[in-house]
Amino acid sequence: MSAVASANRSRASPGHRSVTAPTVAAVLAVVSLASCGFVLIVPVRARAAVSGISTALVGALAVCLGATTLASGFGPVRLGWLLPLSGTVFGGDATSALFTIVTGAVAIAAGWFSIGYSRNACLPAAALAALPLFVSSMALVPFAASVSTFLLLWESMALASLVLVLAEHHERSTREAGVIYAVMTELGFAAILLGLVIFAASAHSETFAAMSSAQLPGAARGVIFVVTVVGFGSKAGLVPLHPWLPHAHPAAPSPVSALMSAAMVNLGIYGLVRVDIQLLGPGPAWWGLLLLIVGAVTAVYAVLQASVATDLKRLLAYSTSENMGLITLALGAAMLLGASGSRAVALVAMTAALLHLINHAAFKTLAFLAAGSVVSATGVRDLDELGGLAGAMPVTSTMFGVAALGATGLPLGAGFVSEWLLLQSLIHTPPAGGTTLALAMPLAVGAVALTAGLAVATMVKAFGIGFLARPRSAAASTAREVSPTMVVAMLLPAVACAVLAVAPIVAAPLLRDAVGEFAKLNAPAGASAMPSLGLLLRLPGIIGSMSPALLAISFVVAVLLATGVSYSKQAGRRRPRTAQLWASGSGRLTPRMQYTATSFAEPLQRVFDDILRPDIDIDVTHHAESRYLVEKVRYQASIGDAVEAHVYVPLLRGLTRWANVVRRAHAGSVHAYLGYGAAGLLVALVVAR
Amino acid sequence: MSGATAIGTVGAVVQVGAVAVGAPLLAGMMRQVRARLEGRRGAGVLQPWRDLRKLVGKERIRPEGTTVVFAAAPAVLAGTVLAIAAIVPVVTANSPLDSVGDLFAVVGLLLLGTVALALAGLDTGTAFGGMGASRAITIAALVEPTVLLAIFALSVPAHSSNLGAIVTTAAVHPGSVATPAAALAFAALCIVVIAETGRLPIDNPTTHLELTMIHEASTLEYAGPQLALVEWASMMRLTVLLALLANLFLPLGIATVDSGVAGLVGGVVVVIVKVTVLAIVLAGAEVFMAKLRLFRVPELLAGSFVLGLLAVTISYFLTTPAT
Amino acid sequence: MRTLTYVTALDASAGALMLCAVLLVWRRDLAALVRLLSVQGLALALIPITLGAHQRDGELVAVGIGVLVLRAAILPGVVARVLRGEPRPRETQPLLNTSASLLAVAALTVLAYAVSRPVVTLDPTPATHAAPLAIAVVLVGIFMLVTRRRAMSQVVGFLMLDNGIAALAFLTTAGVPMVVELGASLDVLLAVLVLQILSGRMRVKFGGTDLDELRELRD
Repeated sequence: MSAVASANRSRASPGHRSVTAPTVAAVLAVVSLASCGFVLIVPVRARAAVSGISTALVGALAVCLGATTLASGFGPVRLGWLLPLSGTVFGGDATSALFTIVTGAVAIAAGWFSIGYSRNACLPAAALAALPLFVSSMALVPFAASVSTFLLLWESMALASLVLVLAEHHERSTREAGVIYAVMTELGFAAILLGLVIFAASAHSETFAAMSSAQLPGAARGVIFVVTVVGFGSKAGLVPLHPWLPHAHPAAPSPVSALMSAAMVNLGIYGLVRVDIQLLGPGPAWWGLLLLIVGAVTAVYAVLQASVATDLKRLLAYSTSENMGLITLALGAAMLLGASGSRAVALVAMTAALLHLINHAAFKTLAFLAAGSVVSATGVRDLDELGGLAGAMPVTSTMFGVAALGATGLPLGAGFVSEWLLLQSLIHTPPAGGTTLALAMPLAVGAVALTAGLAVATMVKAFGIGFLARPRSAAASTAREVSPTMVVAMLLPAVACAVLAVAPIVAAPLLRDAVGEFAKLNAPAGASAMPSLGLLLRLPGIIGSMSPALLAISFVVAVLLATGVSYSKQAGRRRPRTAQLWASGSGRLTPRMQYTATSFAEPLQRVFDDILRPDIDIDVTHHAESRYLVEKVRYQASIGDAVEAHVYVPLLRGLTRWANVVRRAHAGSVHAYLGYGAAGLLVALVVAR
Repeated sequence: MSGATAIGTVGAVVQVGAVAVGAPLLAGMMRQVRARLEGRRGAGVLQPWRDLRKLVGKERIRPEGTTVVFAAAPAVLAGTVLAIAAIVPVVTANSPLDSVGDLFAVVGLLLLGTVALALAGLDTGTAFGGMGASRAITIAALVEPTVLLAIFALSVPAHSSNLGAIVTTAAVHPGSVATPAAALAFAALCIVVIAETGRLPIDNPTTHLELTMIHEASTLEYAGPQLALVEWASMMRLTVLLALLANLFLPLGIATVDSGVAGLVGGVVVVIVKVTVLAIVLAGAEVFMAKLRLFRVPELLAGSFVLGLLAVTISYFLTTPAT
Repeated sequence: MRTLTYVTALDASAGALMLCAVLLVWRRDLAALVRLLSVQGLALALIPITLGAHQRDGELVAVGIGVLVLRAAILPGVVARVLRGEPRPRETQPLLNTSASLLAVAALTVLAYAVSRPVVTLDPTPATHAAPLAIAVVLVGIFMLVTRRRAMSQVVGFLMLDNGIAALAFLTTAGVPMVVELGASLDVLLAVLVLQILSGRMRVKFGGTDLDELRELRD
């Protein structure tokens, strides 16, 4: 690898022999390929352990890669031999480092978790071998510095993830989910390919460095923007390109779901940041408005679907889509505010977007790993059949509680700081920003608020119904705590959640340079500072401050005060006496008397009936003797994805109808087919003369 | 510590104490007003205090099958309200915790308390607990947009969402409170306060029918000191929110940065007067209102959302020429 | 090699190629078709040999000899082996009768000349002047594929098509490396083998290889 060596030599300062980023990247690629092969060779008993440990190792290397890039940069490195015709160019900056570090951290936890999970679930060798490859391609996508490299790594990530989604392919629902996922991923890839190819053709070069400095006509930029937003948006799970998320995540094994939700969808956001914000440069205001609208619609719709979902992993998948919607909303707000001149507020919005990405990765990983423990222990994913797990699985329940608190965006949760920053950026709209801004920002605040409220409802449902009270099925009552490796794997994201909740300053080094790059786009010469994330969060240029750590401390003090009051009398200090619960005087409570997830969400389902369009089927059987007496009533309700049912199914039906029309040209005669080919050739010859 | 910060700290402690001690008195007074208006004698203003003292002296009960969530929820709920009482400008606008939490943090803490109680309701595993939790969370989720939009509207004249800044701006420019935007925001916030504290017409705090309960259903299984905490917390919540409502729109007399000890004492007296007036009005209005059906509540909340949205957009289009 | 001999040899081989193509369209007897195919393969092989001798390129001559062996001997031999099992070694009525087919061949040749004018003007050497004939052979091969009923005739058409493509490659490029020619030839060999096997199966199953009787290839 002479190119790598020369790059090393050219950049290493005299006397400085530390490890450089390209070396780490090379080691990462080699380790992942080697472990893929290794997994296939070792005996069946050791496969899960080897796969999990190597995935965690690749994750650690990815974190190293990001750290070395932040420290010393990653100049463009050209490897001509990897791809014929165009060669590959690798290079990265602080934004790349941010995404790769997040991917690596998630991979460490998910990899370690999969040691125990894969052994219990007996996953096939192909899936176990694909796991380290998946992580390494995800870690290297942000470091692609040319169009062909980017597409190569993107497609290898998609293929590896497809293999992983189909890991449990003996179930029909998994196979269907795999088909939907494959089709949507490839359609998204086609859109990205189209957009990037138009971009490279207009810029007469395919390296990102040359593309960012090219001057393109306005119409071309608009087309590229829309097409790439479609492509990257489908990967990030934005409405209406999201239907693959609620199918693929429940179908995949839980550590893979964690990787997909907390690392892979981030790369959709990476594509938006890299291509649409950095490479295409500051654009007209309608770009930011488009992202804002798409993000707001996604957030509200997805969280609504999550609040009525009863499958635990489907709920978490929709929650991922909601959070990606919030991040896109923040990106759109940043672009809109940057275009209208309020740079300080735009930086706050950008910080909010990137910080929410990090926070989401932490709590979503933890949530999926905890859900994986539940599935591993009970074999059940349906919330209506779970419950009572807090006694049998205390650690898992606590972990899910921490993750749920983060997902709600409440104070003391991991998602609070980023949501606060987002709201601050939305309410500090400049008065001279124009009518668009004046109308868009309040609606955006309303959307964020509704999302936050519904997210609270969703997480209360998930945690309260799934883990508290009494078990609703035999499977849930026989649950036991999972193995120590799986418990230890959940500790890493739990610690990350707790630290991010009170001390977001740990994320500051990651964010500072990435946000700084965004600042340079809008004001190359001006010095705008990023919000400071110390003990007290301060927003430069804006009057606003908050301190999550001090808030947590005051809250804890207040709780202790309240507890002290309740223990102030002698009787209150004795051991509590156990008593029966109130069952309206009918004797003992049965588990069937509890509220289920469906009943908990029923008021919300009624309020949002027009959007959710549930499928309700009521079948009344009357007595043989009289129509006034009812013998039995059968009630069946199901809530599918409304976009899928009302947009995709009619679209597919239309396509099938059109294909049937075209089918008439398939006469069955070989001569006709050959004739078509010949005619095509003649036309091509004549036209392309 | 400078003089102003010391006064501020003393003010914060005083306001927490005032809220803690005064909340049961306020609740008692509201019940007395209702009783008199309904033609009854009433139990006296000190009755809630007597009830709380009795409950704290009873033994602790642990319903079978519940977990630590049920046991800890009352303390969490009371803790959130006490923390809010220290941040929010009740007596002084110069609390040292003012920069720690702004209006968004306060709203978040309120929601945290609601969540704790809802989880406790689910933890009991009874149908009533689940019902109360489900309804309370639905209402809390639907009132969020109104809350945040009202905060938005309030933050526009002060250019900040920190409560001290908002109250100080309103104190220095009393004209900013007389705008139509502020009036709409006030109306929206009134509905928010009613929703967050579970008063009529959204929830009836004195109902005995389980099927009409929202807040009460989650607390059905609590007894002894834990019930005392829950009741006290809900009384404190009402007090704090009424004080906030009063001080955001009529900050006359609140202790500010340059008030001394006399300012603090004046602040305490003034807030007692304001809150008492608001409470009497609220209690009187409740006598003439009936509880809304649960599925009519979203309509009311949607209406308050529209009020909030109008407040924000009007404040933009009216302040643009001036600024 | 003297220039005049070189040009004459090149034009002669290209002419022979085209003549064989016309005869392949004219004759209906399958055995005759196979013999004509091997003659065409010989004509094709003469092109790279001539070019190699003129340019003193040993590799090109070697490629030419390889082409000779493959296309004049092996491939027609394989097709002949298939024909031995044929009950009716004669082409049934094709879709276009013989006169119409020959008129079509003429039209395709004119089209080939029109299409390849830019190629000739780009680099006017004796080799590229013969390129239109190669394109014409390609078009005639496609025509034969489309209009013949018997599977064997279609195989012959396919081989003629490939002959034309190879001729075009030799005439217009700066030389076809051994590797490329080897790869292409291997493809063709494989295709023919597959077609042989398929014809055998078709005969066993349907008692004949008349493609018009097979209309199930659709949804």
